[in-house]
Amino acid sequence: MVFDVFFLQQVINGLSIGCVYALMAIGFTLIFGVLNVVNFAHGEVYTIGAFVGLMVITAMAPPLLAVVPLVLAVGAVSGVGLERIAFRPFRRFTDEASQKSRAMREATLLSSLAVSIVTREIMMHIFGGDMQGIPSGYLLQQPVAIGPVMVASGSLVIFATSAVMLGALQFLLYRTQTGLGIRAVSNNQLGARYVGINTDRTIVTTFAVGSMLGATAGILVGLYDGAISPHMGFAPGVKAFVAMVMGGLSSIPGAVACALLLGVSESIATEFLSSGWKDLITYSLLVITLVFFPQGLFGHGRERA
Amino acid sequence: MSNTLLSIQGLTRRFGGLLAVSDVSATIAKGELVGLIGPNGAGKTTLFNLITGFTPPSDGTVTFDGQDVTGRKPWQIARMGMGRTFQNLRVFPNMTVFDNVSVGAVGAFGQSPWRALVNGGARSRAVSERSWEALERVGLTAQAGDIAANLSYGKRKYLEIARALATAPRLLILDEPAAGLNDTETAELADFIRRLHAGGVTVLLVEHDMGLVMGSCSRVIVLASGRKIADGTPEAVQRDPAVLEAYLGVEDDAA
Repeated sequence: MVFDVFFLQQVINGLSIGCVYALMAIGFTLIFGVLNVVNFAHGEVYTIGAFVGLMVITAMAPPLLAVVPLVLAVGAVSGVGLERIAFRPFRRFTDEASQKSRAMREATLLSSLAVSIVTREIMMHIFGGDMQGIPSGYLLQQPVAIGPVMVASGSLVIFATSAVMLGALQFLLYRTQTGLGIRAVSNNQLGARYVGINTDRTIVTTFAVGSMLGATAGILVGLYDGAISPHMGFAPGVKAFVAMVMGGLSSIPGAVACALLLGVSESIATEFLSSGWKDLITYSLLVITLVFFPQGLFGHGRERA
Repeated sequence: MSNTLLSIQGLTRRFGGLLAVSDVSATIAKGELVGLIGPNGAGKTTLFNLITGFTPPSDGTVTFDGQDVTGRKPWQIARMGMGRTFQNLRVFPNMTVFDNVSVGAVGAFGQSPWRALVNGGARSRAVSERSWEALERVGLTAQAGDIAANLSYGKRKYLEIARALATAPRLLILDEPAAGLNDTETAELADFIRRLHAGGVTVLLVEHDMGLVMGSCSRVIVLASGRKIADGTPEAVQRDPAVLEAYLGVEDDAA
């Protein structure tokens, strides 16, 4: 019985880590959907979310619920800025040859990597490379007893926030014109443009939405772990990328399911093996998935625009 | 000339040293059904792209419904009432048939950011009514809930036409709609296009299939080597020596 409770606790911890990966992975997937390009700077949006959250907390000591909308706004702004700097310049060539050009795609990919590194370096210069502590009043580490299982309050906050954001995203995608536009552009950008969809605006909106999710994930993890650093975005960024690929590149439910799977397997591996096995598990899962399901677990043959 | 819907003047496009379209002028009046034909490499697709805003012209102007649209973006031109379909289909494969058509309806209304998020959104009544009407016109109402990728090739073609119709186009440009269809299907398509036209839609038909163009259109424009070589009734165009030469090569003296 002891083992079972313990095991359950690890699963719950893993699910909360998985939720964080999922929030990140959704941003990746949305942006990959509309542009067919990986946004390497997504991890930095996560870091920015955490740092702006910390700055606001230390400067103004607002209630926790006020931090969230602020971080959402910061996420949206950084997403829009990122799109302007790293992505839009490569879309000025609209002729068919450039649109199909591989070189153009690689260039876009590298420009997002460059923006990612520059952003990280700037944050290192401002904040230093060390871990920054979160004021203890804001930490989400109080244990909460649910029956025999002890759960950190942070896990519950992460579950609740993720559920709300996933719900809001579903509403946006399937019940609004903006969402219809995002889905149309993801399906076929050219087709969307020729029936009157302003694709540039749709792409900017997608960056804003994806980055809102990413920034929120960042501050949640900061409050849960108790410390943040300019490097904090790298590992979850990679995990989210893995979840997106495992999920089939363009499937949001697939990315979420794989993110949760990754979180839980990492958490169980850490507990029963040693923490050194964590990453090995993640990447083994990726390799195994791709060997047996080259399209990802939830992928459908994607039509390239 | 208030009856003129589309007017192109001296349209020219160079790609490096290649003159893909050279000084083409033409007009289409409201209510016409015009065919645009030409052998492979004649510049049909380039001309098409110049008109719909995909490629900016090197020279010349495009006037649509009295407004100069040269250099405008495709989505702006689409919103002004120029609808098009694609030779290689560009439906939204992972969306339902209904949602595919709704995108056209939403696109045509223009998404004000505020309305896009708040007021009824994709399911608003106006959008929904327009989408159903477009589906009805192509006979796809029974498939409204199906995922587009699961439709047959022919049905996807009609879906794309429905999506364009949902934008309430004043000019509908069809890019080689008969490509990949067999004779029966082409005949059905010809019927359908004639009905659309009879229902008041101005149509420009860019086609390879001579039968379809000659049988349906009241006027035919012929392009060869980037230049307009003929513009007239199907009968006149078919007898035009320049057209025969472009299609069949230089004739023997004996002929």
